[in-house]
Amino acid sequence: MNRRVRIAAAVGLAALVAGCAEDAPQDMFQPAGPNAQSIYDLSVPVFIIAGVIGVIVMVFIAIIVVKFRDRGQAIPDQVHGKPTLEIILTIIPALILIGVAIPTVGTIMALNDTSDTECVINVTGQQWWWEIDYPTQSGCGSGIDQPIITSGQMVIPIGTPVLVRGTSRDVIHSWWIPRLNGKRDMVPGRVHTNRIEADEPGIYAGQCTEFCGLSHANMRMEVIAMTPEDFEAWKLNQTKPYESPAEGTLAAKGEQTFISQCARCHQVNGLEDADGAPIVSRPDLSVYSGAAPNLTHLMTRNTFAGAAYNLLTPECRPKVWNAPSETVGAEYLKGVTPDCLNSVELREWLRNAPAKKPMYADPTKLEATDGLTRGMPNLALSEDQIDELVAYLLERH
Amino acid sequence: MAIIERPTDTPALAGAGAAVTPSSSYGNFRRPVQATGWKSWAFTVDHKKIGIMYGVVAMVFFFVGGIEALLIRAQLAQPNGTILSADKYNQMFTMHATTMVFLFVMPMAAAFANYMMPLQIGARDVAFPRLNALSLWLFVFGGIFINSSWILGGAADGGWFMYAPNSSVPFSPTNGVDFWTLGLLITGVASQVGAINLIVTALNMRAPGMKLMRMPIFTWMALVVQFLLLFSIPVITVALFLLMFQRNFGANFFSVEAGADPLLWQHLFWLFGHPEVYILVLPSFGIISEVLPTFSRKPLFGYPFVVFSGAAIGFVGFGVWAHHMFAAGLGPISVAVFSVATMAIAVPTGVKIINWTLTMWGGKLWFTTAMLFAIGLIVQFTIGGLSGVTHAVAPSDTQQTDTYYIVAHFHYVIFGGAVLGLFAGIYYWWPKVFGKMLSEKIGRWNFWLMIIGMNMTFGPMHILGLQGQPRRMYIWTGDRAGDGFFDLAFWNLVASIGSLVLGIGAFLFLVNVWVSRKNPPAPADPWDARSLEWLTTNPPKEHNFDRIPTVHTLDEFFHRKYEDVGEGDQHDYKQVATGAEVIELEEKYADAHIHLPSPSYWPMVLAISLPIIGYGVIFNTLLIVAGAAIAVLALFGWALEPPTADESEFDPPAPDGDQPSKELAVSV
Repeated sequence: MNRRVRIAAAVGLAALVAGCAEDAPQDMFQPAGPNAQSIYDLSVPVFIIAGVIGVIVMVFIAIIVVKFRDRGQAIPDQVHGKPTLEIILTIIPALILIGVAIPTVGTIMALNDTSDTECVINVTGQQWWWEIDYPTQSGCGSGIDQPIITSGQMVIPIGTPVLVRGTSRDVIHSWWIPRLNGKRDMVPGRVHTNRIEADEPGIYAGQCTEFCGLSHANMRMEVIAMTPEDFEAWKLNQTKPYESPAEGTLAAKGEQTFISQCARCHQVNGLEDADGAPIVSRPDLSVYSGAAPNLTHLMTRNTFAGAAYNLLTPECRPKVWNAPSETVGAEYLKGVTPDCLNSVELREWLRNAPAKKPMYADPTKLEATDGLTRGMPNLALSEDQIDELVAYLLERH
Repeated sequence: MAIIERPTDTPALAGAGAAVTPSSSYGNFRRPVQATGWKSWAFTVDHKKIGIMYGVVAMVFFFVGGIEALLIRAQLAQPNGTILSADKYNQMFTMHATTMVFLFVMPMAAAFANYMMPLQIGARDVAFPRLNALSLWLFVFGGIFINSSWILGGAADGGWFMYAPNSSVPFSPTNGVDFWTLGLLITGVASQVGAINLIVTALNMRAPGMKLMRMPIFTWMALVVQFLLLFSIPVITVALFLLMFQRNFGANFFSVEAGADPLLWQHLFWLFGHPEVYILVLPSFGIISEVLPTFSRKPLFGYPFVVFSGAAIGFVGFGVWAHHMFAAGLGPISVAVFSVATMAIAVPTGVKIINWTLTMWGGKLWFTTAMLFAIGLIVQFTIGGLSGVTHAVAPSDTQQTDTYYIVAHFHYVIFGGAVLGLFAGIYYWWPKVFGKMLSEKIGRWNFWLMIIGMNMTFGPMHILGLQGQPRRMYIWTGDRAGDGFFDLAFWNLVASIGSLVLGIGAFLFLVNVWVSRKNPPAPADPWDARSLEWLTTNPPKEHNFDRIPTVHTLDEFFHRKYEDVGEGDQHDYKQVATGAEVIELEEKYADAHIHLPSPSYWPMVLAISLPIIGYGVIFNTLLIVAGAAIAVLALFGWALEPPTADESEFDPPAPDGDQPSKELAVSV
């Protein structure tokens, strides 16, 4: 093989590796915040050390296999070992590992420090979605006056260290946004914390990583980091008062359908019944975990049902998800517009949720949970009702 | 004990036995003394037959677990796979791990320990032959019991780690977890009984002259493993008991609403689960520590270092369990301690790799299939060990845990470490056990396809994991696959194709067994081997050794064949006898009176009572009573049965009735 071919091959390979590649969104080698960065800084040298040792062992074995193969030589000397050599070869790896252990312990202690956080966000796992709520506080930018409850997507301001406090309502789940920090199990009966901070605006994907039953694979989440100004706009929108749909529209019918079919479990803040009394959902009467996503501002998020499905059509999704960091906040704040609504999947969901996402909702098989479902049951809605609900939900901005 | 403690010539004892035992009144329940036919296997107490049955049943489970693995990879070959439902997928990965760990690697290692340990230490059987049969049948029935869940409402679906509270009834309403819990309790008894048996065997039944530091290295590693089992099986038994009471009898050990802490289960499980990793790999380390010296024509380099590093691994292995819980929220001090302890255990493991390579250094390497598997183990296990160091670093592990990177790591450790070692052992000892050679040609295909297959399957999983693909997910989505070189879709497909190559490679082993079944008898010493198990015929006689050998050195068999004729520091080894000649000499001086214990029904009867109780716990309390009654009957029958069958139980009985015909006639 001549030199030119070799160079071409090397360039081609490098291009393949680096050039056209876009790594997966959960790649743990693309840290986007100080916590993930310190893990990255610690782990890369260990990978290099491990790789070098691995290559040395392989080469050594290859040499032995070639050099000492049976070529009719005499029976070798029956050497039982060389204690000095052995002791040296025991001490060397021990020293290497001490060299790894010291920065490891330092990083463990540093990562545990959450005293500098300026914003508290609670996450609660349940089968198979994350609830995210912002308690009232003076932190998180200009402060939070009334609690914000959302699900699936956590919005944070960049450059602000956030204390994620997590627990679970049923089984163990694990909160993991690889580009921001390592994972933390969220355990029922315990509150665990995780510090996250994003350097740049962007959408950081994550996934539940503790096996949590049937739809574990469909339990995802995202952190959307935006500039402090965009974050203030987002907060303002999340706390604006409820507006009923205009009289006589499809969405107005949808409001009634929502009240009769969905409001038992799903809260829409500000929704009132015919007497003007606020409607408070009681998911604990129907769902084993006792919770269902708050849908007040569903269309400000761009995923649904445990962040497993897109509210944006395949054409619109990249415009937000692949937006450069300067515009991603603005794109996200546009929410889901009628022309971008992924009504195909939303309708599939409304038509028969457990058929789309595996859940325990078969009414004949709920003996173990006293008739409570785990996940959303099939509501047997008519196509007209689904049309109305889609129209209603589309206005939940 | 029956064998060694029984005096060789005691008609008085035989007479007394006849007086106090009810064996003569059994009628149809005469002891199954047949030397041929299925009864000679089903009721045997011979460690060799038991070892073979352990191996055969473990192999069956290997292919069951392999099919489960192929289904998992088929499901994951494409995004949003539809071959398995979420429910079936969760059962599949739970049972794949359960089957491979508890029903293949552990019993396969038990097969080798059972068969080889008495031979390697110059004994005629294990210390408690009937307990040995009990272990076997508990394992067999326990394995069948767990797998019967497939047709009785679905298998366990909580993962082999079965974390609470996901294992409780509201979250896993089928009986699958009950089958899993009760089945593992049963196989746990098998392991515990086997551990006690083999510990006593290794410590008490070594041939004259075999000091502990002359014990073959496989026996040493098997002994360490038995101690690990002895101390770790009780822990998982406690955990499984709590889970059984949680699910079946209304207990609240894992009910969070009643104040339970779900981390209790994790600590109990991993306090068992981490020693379990060493239970899986140390037997294979022992096997290749026999294979490498044999085919390098050199003693094991640094035998005492290998022994003590094995013991050190066993010891430190109990102090690293929480490295499975770095993301569980233990607090920084615990995490730091366990992180450093985990790094510490890498040192004795590294010592082993260094010693294996230095064993080959300066040798005269003979690349048989067994040797290829042994070298394959060193290479593959090194990769798994080094990736292990990358997640001993706890902060890195919080990124890596529960991703495919971990799946890659432990498959390099368990497939690359344990399974390749077991295959090395199978190829090495096949002529010893079955008296025939396996085809070396098919063996090579078997080896290379398995190596290529495993690297194609598990190698890409490093990339998948580091790119953020979590484990235990029945589907993955194209949305999060990326593109270019690290495209998850590409590497998932490669892994799935690799699993097929691996499956074909493993299947070639069965082909090899089939093709080789009519091979001519193997030579007496086909590998020019070194340790005591080769100091007898292939396969060994029922009583193993014609005379109990006296041991003068490590690698006794080698030194009976070769003598150092060099002068001073100048060594020169000359063959003074062939293996066959050495064995012939033993036959010439055979012991005149050799006593072996007789077969017995009771181990199997006792073993079958436990699955009956298990079905009772799940389906009907009456079955518990029936099973318990059988257990009591079996215990009494067992306790009252003499070690050796009474003369009247043979068919036809010997005419004079006082000469125990179980005393083997050995031609002198």
